[in-house]
Amino acid sequence: MRRSVNFRSFFTASWLGWQIESNWTDPFLFATYSIVKPLAGAGILVLMYSIITQGQFDSPIFAYLYLGNAFYQYVPAVLSGVSWTIIEDREHYRTLKYIYVAPVNIPFYLFGRGVAKFITGSFGVVLTLAAGVLFLNVPLDWSIVNWPLFFLTMGLGILMLALMGLLLAGVTLMVARHSYFIGDVVASGFFLFTGAIFPLEVLPNFLRPIGYILPITYWLELIRRALVGTVAEAFPTFTMLSNAQLLIILLVSSLVFGLAAIFVFRRCDHQARERGLIDQITNY
Amino acid sequence: MNNGYAIQTENLGRIYKIRNNRKEAARQLVALQDVNLEVHTGELFGLLGPNGAGKTTLIKILTTLLSPSSGWAKVAGIDVDRRPEEVRKRINMVSGGETSGYGLLTVRENLWMFAQFYGIESKQANQRIKTLMEIVGMADRLNTKSSDLSTGLRQKMNIVRGFLTDPEVLFLDEPTLGLDVGASRDVRSFIKRWMDEDHGRTMLLTTHYMVEAEELCDRVAIINHGRVLACDSPAHLKQTLQHEAIFQVRVYAPQLIVEEPFCQIRGVQDFHQKTEVDAVRLEIILEEEAVLADVINELARQQARILSLQKREPTLEDIFVQLVGQRMEEVEHANVTAS
Amino acid sequence: MQMLPPLERKNTGWRLFLMTVLGRSYPRVVGMQRERSWMFFDIFMPLLAVSAYVFVYRAIGAPEEYVGFVVMGGAMTAFWMNVLWSMSSQLYWEKEQGNLALYIISPASMVAILLGMAVGGLFATLLRAIAIITLGSLLFNVTYVIASFWQLIAVFSLSMIALYGLGMMSASIFLLLSREAWHIANLAMEPVYLASGMYFPVKNLGFWAAAAASIIPLTLGLDAMRQLVFETGPTLGFLSVKTAMAILALLSVVYLFTARRLLAYIEKLAVREGRLTENRR
Repeated sequence: MRRSVNFRSFFTASWLGWQIESNWTDPFLFATYSIVKPLAGAGILVLMYSIITQGQFDSPIFAYLYLGNAFYQYVPAVLSGVSWTIIEDREHYRTLKYIYVAPVNIPFYLFGRGVAKFITGSFGVVLTLAAGVLFLNVPLDWSIVNWPLFFLTMGLGILMLALMGLLLAGVTLMVARHSYFIGDVVASGFFLFTGAIFPLEVLPNFLRPIGYILPITYWLELIRRALVGTVAEAFPTFTMLSNAQLLIILLVSSLVFGLAAIFVFRRCDHQARERGLIDQITNY
Repeated sequence: MNNGYAIQTENLGRIYKIRNNRKEAARQLVALQDVNLEVHTGELFGLLGPNGAGKTTLIKILTTLLSPSSGWAKVAGIDVDRRPEEVRKRINMVSGGETSGYGLLTVRENLWMFAQFYGIESKQANQRIKTLMEIVGMADRLNTKSSDLSTGLRQKMNIVRGFLTDPEVLFLDEPTLGLDVGASRDVRSFIKRWMDEDHGRTMLLTTHYMVEAEELCDRVAIINHGRVLACDSPAHLKQTLQHEAIFQVRVYAPQLIVEEPFCQIRGVQDFHQKTEVDAVRLEIILEEEAVLADVINELARQQARILSLQKREPTLEDIFVQLVGQRMEEVEHANVTAS
Repeated sequence: MQMLPPLERKNTGWRLFLMTVLGRSYPRVVGMQRERSWMFFDIFMPLLAVSAYVFVYRAIGAPEEYVGFVVMGGAMTAFWMNVLWSMSSQLYWEKEQGNLALYIISPASMVAILLGMAVGGLFATLLRAIAIITLGSLLFNVTYVIASFWQLIAVFSLSMIALYGLGMMSASIFLLLSREAWHIANLAMEPVYLASGMYFPVKNLGFWAAAAASIIPLTLGLDAMRQLVFETGPTLGFLSVKTAMAILALLSVVYLFTARRLLAYIEKLAVREGRLTENRR
């Protein structure tokens, strides 16, 4: 019975999330949004790189930053997808209190609502990769991709991001609605520490430990190794660690963060119910 | 120049184009048609009708939130569509179930802010806020954050907001929604006093509570499906039913009372039953008293035992039934089912 | 005795305008005092995001003045975010809550309401911009050589006027929108960062692309300010400072005038179509 509640919560929320996410505008504007936003984000980095290096797209550093940026799109997508649900349901649809009253597993409900953003995020990632391969010589050779490593890493990574989203959702329960997507803002902050667009060696010594703690760092490194092993090897950050070791670190750090996320969410959830914040409206 | 009329409409109509999703073609919904009203300055005018009748649409047009599709409307002698900015200086509006304002601000701060939008100096605004809050019994809540208010108290705050700016014409759209019995009574009493104190003030009140309309309004328009069916003072409207006989009968019935045989009795205009805890209450409108004998015979045939029988005065509900052919809740139920 | 005497006076004209600006800025200012989590999300996190782009330049061996470009660009994003999220798309939330209807039926003008929102958010915006400039400059050893302080003030002021005029124009569009307001605001972030040269000299886009991007006031504003504060700025500039100032002045006038007309027109359109009070969730 318990298991079916979780699945029911997840799948119903996934369906609902897709209904909401796919329905906000006409297909043309939806396609425009889904294409322009990821490509513009990649475009900033491509231009920055091109200006300084005079267009040396064959360099490993370009592939490094391009691929890191492409897959990093999952971070704001999943973080926002899970945490923004609190704001959406509390202040826009005003259904959060009814969700709480229903026999629903709230974390699974939040994960389910994040699925739609994950799907639209995937579209952005694929588009960015395609543009990179077709126009910018990103060295993606499908025949040498380590597919088992890639899918395992992706699965672990998405789970890890969903749990981080849950932590953020807990925080969101306690704070007012600010004007922007909190998940996007937090993701943009993590951009600095996770080796997404530059190797961790570039950071000052005192900042690198933050990158080593974050599971996103290992996730991105494994993605690069799976897709373009030779490029990843060009950077010394994790050369002493094998794929298996990196996977274990990713698993352990995700577990730690996951437990922290569950703990924080539960505490925030309890506090929010104690203080009557579940149905508050905080527009200002 | 308003020629003594605070509100005037002529052949006012509004059509909405709606569709349930992007794939469906838009269909037309006639919300108002051929509405002709004249509300005198100093009048408390009621608009009575079931949910979906067009009351809120009419208020939206008169408060410059919506354009008419046909006809025209004037408030304080000014066309609402052509010179809305002039109309806005003279009106205010309170809706039932409002969630306006800012949750992080206190009641006083929210009200002060809205007063600024009407150009009311802070000192004067604060004085009026204090007075109005005392009148509605919320003086101790001035410094409470509005997100901490209950639904009823929030509605009281909204009501204060409406009166705060001393409008020439005030629109109240189901203002007592969410208020308890005592609070509703206080609000109604305040409304009457506010109108009595200055005959330059006009109010248009929409409600689907008959009691409220009867108690407060100088005149009432009954509206259904976007059309005004009748418009007169409650007393005059009820006079149209004076020749009919209205009875309230409480019976004990071992089984469900079948309505059809009663409706087939000649002279029975309306038959309505409502199950109570230990009895069934019947509301019957007859063309004349003599028909009562046939009704009692049918009750006996259905083995219903009469517990009490009384003749009562017609109400606005009865007027509505006579005009529409159904009770208000039946019309609302039909509207919900149809949509 | 009357329980509530009639009001002696209601202000109109410019007094009403200023009172409305003050009134609407109040919830924003007070809200930020009472709910301080915005400091983390609105100052600390953006500082980290800007730093990421600094390190990208360092990783690819860019000249040090590019670090300064990023810091300056990052600071200016604060104003764009204020315009987009605290002004334009905020109207969507006002509509949802029912405040928009109450604003419309009041004698206050929408221009004043929007300005109030922007002014109210300006405290947080300025704090963010100053934090990024100050901390970014200190952390990354950015040095400034100010060619002309008064020209710098003039460029900044003109950029802000034009930017907020553009913001009011876009706010009018949001009167017609529902949920798509968030997405459209979201859509206007990265493309604007790209087109306006937030993190790189805009002239690298090519003349015509840079010219087209100049309709966004931040493009020319940033370009001119960089020329005025960095030693190598003039060599990397798109248009001369004086030309940029002239164009910004023109944009200010055009945007403010158009904003007023567009707001009035779209409000009429929204009233005709009944969009001011709908909840097309």
